[in-house]
Amino acid sequence: MPNLRPLRSSLFRVTATVAARELSSSFRLPLGWIAIALFVLLAGATFVIDTLRPGEPASMRAYFSFAGWLLLPIVPAVSMRLIAEELRSGTIEPLMTSPASDFAIVLGKFVGTLVFLLLLIAPSLVHAFVLRAHSDPAPDVGPLITGYLALALTASLYLALGLLMSSFTSNQTLAFMLTFFAIMGLLIVPALIEPRLPQGPAWDWARAATGTLSIGRKAADFSRGVIDLSHLTLYLSATTGLLVLAAVSLESRRWR
Amino acid sequence: MLTVESIDKSYGHFRAVSDVSFELAKGQVVGLLGPNGAGKTTSIRMMTGFFPPDRGSIRVNGHDTVEASAQARHSLGYLPENAPLYPEMSVDGLLRFRARLYGLSRGQASSAIAHAADRCALRDVLHRRIGQLSKGYRQRVGLAAAILHNPPVLVLDEPANGLDPTQITQMRSLIAELAIDRTVLVSSHILAEVERTCSRVLIMIRGRLRADGDPKVLTSRHVKAATATVVEVSHVSDASVLARVLGALPGVASVQPLTTLGRTTGARILGTSASDPAPGLIAASIASAGLELVAINPERPTLESVFLDLLESEAA
Repeated sequence: MPNLRPLRSSLFRVTATVAARELSSSFRLPLGWIAIALFVLLAGATFVIDTLRPGEPASMRAYFSFAGWLLLPIVPAVSMRLIAEELRSGTIEPLMTSPASDFAIVLGKFVGTLVFLLLLIAPSLVHAFVLRAHSDPAPDVGPLITGYLALALTASLYLALGLLMSSFTSNQTLAFMLTFFAIMGLLIVPALIEPRLPQGPAWDWARAATGTLSIGRKAADFSRGVIDLSHLTLYLSATTGLLVLAAVSLESRRWR
Repeated sequence: MLTVESIDKSYGHFRAVSDVSFELAKGQVVGLLGPNGAGKTTSIRMMTGFFPPDRGSIRVNGHDTVEASAQARHSLGYLPENAPLYPEMSVDGLLRFRARLYGLSRGQASSAIAHAADRCALRDVLHRRIGQLSKGYRQRVGLAAAILHNPPVLVLDEPANGLDPTQITQMRSLIAELAIDRTVLVSSHILAEVERTCSRVLIMIRGRLRADGDPKVLTSRHVKAATATVVEVSHVSDASVLARVLGALPGVASVQPLTTLGRTTGARILGTSASDPAPGLIAASIASAGLELVAINPERPTLESVFLDLLESEAA
């Protein structure tokens, strides 16, 4: 029988362990494959309709601007089970009574599922190659790379949101709906408010705020090939903030 | 090994556990008994660090479950009620996951899994999906996962739940084996099970610890009713003969005839005091009356009677 190792339940090891389990489970569950199929279909349709048109400039800008909507049905479907299913089936109990910290559990789930989402997005790279092969002049590589970066950042933001929603309930359907509507709010509300704001410098702050919240605007900037540091910071800090909230929400279950 | 000091836990206004204290020594198998909703699982969840007590403290192998939570959790193996497991994983995959969570290296994990799989008889199913396994196997997978990191304290919540009689017997001998160098706390509502497995029982009723001790001592101390003996005979033509013969014996307070399908087949004798009428005397008197004796069964007090007694006094 092995002896108890000195306490090395470091954040890194637990995160990697939980992430590996989460990733392999995503591929073992039918839902994972359905999500992949759905994304490939949606991405392909968007590419054919928006990008692959004779006479258009060789760019995937329209495609990337639409990326926020592409991920709308995908991420909630992938994220809904993450904590909710563990709460329902009771597997959360052996997990939360192991030496793993609540934050490491949440982070591990996030990392494992983010890797899954990146693998889910990966087949759509074929669109970039199709565009390069069929257009003259060839598209710039820079905007393609930043466009995919924006897609990955959007996916991680949505995922962090989904993880938080999944920690609120043991009902996967409810977690899906909460995430879906939260993302939809994020996509629609700034677009609805901005044109209706009154003119004049008094409302500049509101215009700035809606601009900051607008994911479509950021994706459009990225797909022009610009890495705006303020955009990057906003995505990363919002994702981190949501993960911390999810960990707090999980931990709060211990105090109820 | 496991010290619980006056713990309390409330859910809103409902007080699930109040002022429970006990201490478990090494090598003990202790049964935690109580009706449903008595606070057994709530107490266990505090011991395992799932949530902290509102008041009081718990130490596992000397580590406080709140102050030194990680060390306390390392010292404890836990099989939750119904053994919740990930159905999509293989048995080997799940055990590997658990081993890594507890900080075992790959090599240590492999030998720990081999050892635990041997003990819990899981060799044949290591590469099967957990979702395909029977309840008995799943329960054993949960137990194997709990002992992987070789914890000095094991807490098993209803380990016999949903098992068939053969599996219950196997589980019982496995628990006895595990207890040789450990402290094991087993919660159950199957009283006969606890009586056989445990050297000590804790009885909880409505969130309070109402009894603590050796089951034999508890039964002898708690039972107030007179003891009874059941006598079975092969055939009686006249029931009053039996009543007269047995009623004349010393130490017999009353005799109730027992009938099966309308025929008298025996009698239940209630003793006057704690001492039963001697079986030898009963046998001799039956024989002298010309009847054929089939069996004499003293009705020993069981944990069940202690339990019902406590419940009754609680209701009163």
